[in-house]
Amino acid sequence: MAVCILLQSTILNRVAVRGVRPDLALIVLIFVSMRRGPMVGQVSGFATGFLEDLMNVSPLGFHSLLRTVIGYVYGLLSGNVFIDPFLMPIILTVIATILKGILAGIVSAVFGLAASGFITFTGRLWIEVGYNGVIAPFLFALLNLFKMFKQADKEGA
Amino acid sequence: MPGLFEGFFARHRRGATLITLVLTSLLCLAVANRAVVIKPKEIGLSVAGFFQKGFTGFFNWFGDTAGSIRQLREAREELTTARARLQEMDEVTREILELRRQNESLKSQLDFANSLPAERIAAEVIARDTDNLFSTLTINKGSRHGVKRGMPVVAWQGDIEGLVGKVVLVGPGTSEVLPLYDPQCMVSSRVDSTRDEGLVQGEGKDRGTLVMNYVKKIAKNKITYGDLVVTSGLGGLYPKGINIGRIRDITAPTYQTSLVLQVEPIIDFDRLEYLFLIGPEPDNPAPAAGQQTPPAAPVAK
Repeated sequence: MAVCILLQSTILNRVAVRGVRPDLALIVLIFVSMRRGPMVGQVSGFATGFLEDLMNVSPLGFHSLLRTVIGYVYGLLSGNVFIDPFLMPIILTVIATILKGILAGIVSAVFGLAASGFITFTGRLWIEVGYNGVIAPFLFALLNLFKMFKQADKEGA
Repeated sequence: MPGLFEGFFARHRRGATLITLVLTSLLCLAVANRAVVIKPKEIGLSVAGFFQKGFTGFFNWFGDTAGSIRQLREAREELTTARARLQEMDEVTREILELRRQNESLKSQLDFANSLPAERIAAEVIARDTDNLFSTLTINKGSRHGVKRGMPVVAWQGDIEGLVGKVVLVGPGTSEVLPLYDPQCMVSSRVDSTRDEGLVQGEGKDRGTLVMNYVKKIAKNKITYGDLVVTSGLGGLYPKGINIGRIRDITAPTYQTSLVLQVEPIIDFDRLEYLFLIGPEPDNPAPAAGQQTPPAAPVAK
């Protein structure tokens, strides 16, 4: 996930659509949470978000809060949802991206934060929703190749 | 009693962890939002900057190698063109020298003080914000290179210098730049042709435009589409006369005593690679960030 964040801030700028990049770290977080459960999901979310906050101008705690909640919520679904290779990754990622947008709007409203992307339901959010949705099946397929996730799947089963 | 706590945490391990993490995040948010100086952020910025530099350098190397052959061909063509232009420039230089001599003579007659040019620090954009919610740029220069918080940032694109934004966070080796289109970025400015003053503010990356407020309504007939907007130098944060953008729309809301001008930035922020940070002029030290004050709104008569 740390590698995903580094990619997002550097290389993925080259494939940005109207300045919007896919949130690879979010897709990986969904995958990990769905495989490993709420405990690993929330801790991974917090760690990733905290790292993101350290790297950005965003206030410390902003991304860690969003990703902790998303990691926990998706972790609760672990073992209860059958993940097919194509449709479910898209649905899960689209919902997570919208959830992230809503949470970002709430947190920014509560803490009075003002940043350019904070207007929740704007074109930028929908571009990110689409972009993440398109990438999700491929990233899920790639992550399925990793041995550690396969083992976790067996444990979970 | 300790057994009670242990039993409770053993039973609610997941929930307790969630509450701990959420509370930690909220506490960090509350502290950070009160603008308390947080050293871990600067440390994190420098550590992350190290990896960002590495990533950018690694992929740039591949890109540069592939593009070098094409660049050589282009360079040969450019050399021929440049030689022709050099001859033209020789003549222009002679004219400039003559004009400069005349200008100095006139300045001395008018008793103007010669101001020394401000120091400039060249920097490369090595990363952008990791999420689409914020819009900062990370540059490869930090406090070690003399970068200070609040420094104005400019860039050259197509032989035109334009304002990019200002430095908001400084680490030892990297810094964060807040771009002009961010709603938090405000610049004291004026319309170059009519000299009317106003305040330029970003409208967010979603729109990519700027808005200029507090321009007197009386100026409506003088201002035209395409007029250049430049920094006014008021407030002391941004030097005077830096290009900001061109006017794309003029509206005069009936409920306001001033005009609202839509300004298109002169800089294409998606193509930014190299930036210049402007240091304080020798006789005009830069104020701390956030001291910019808007000009007084015109009073209705």
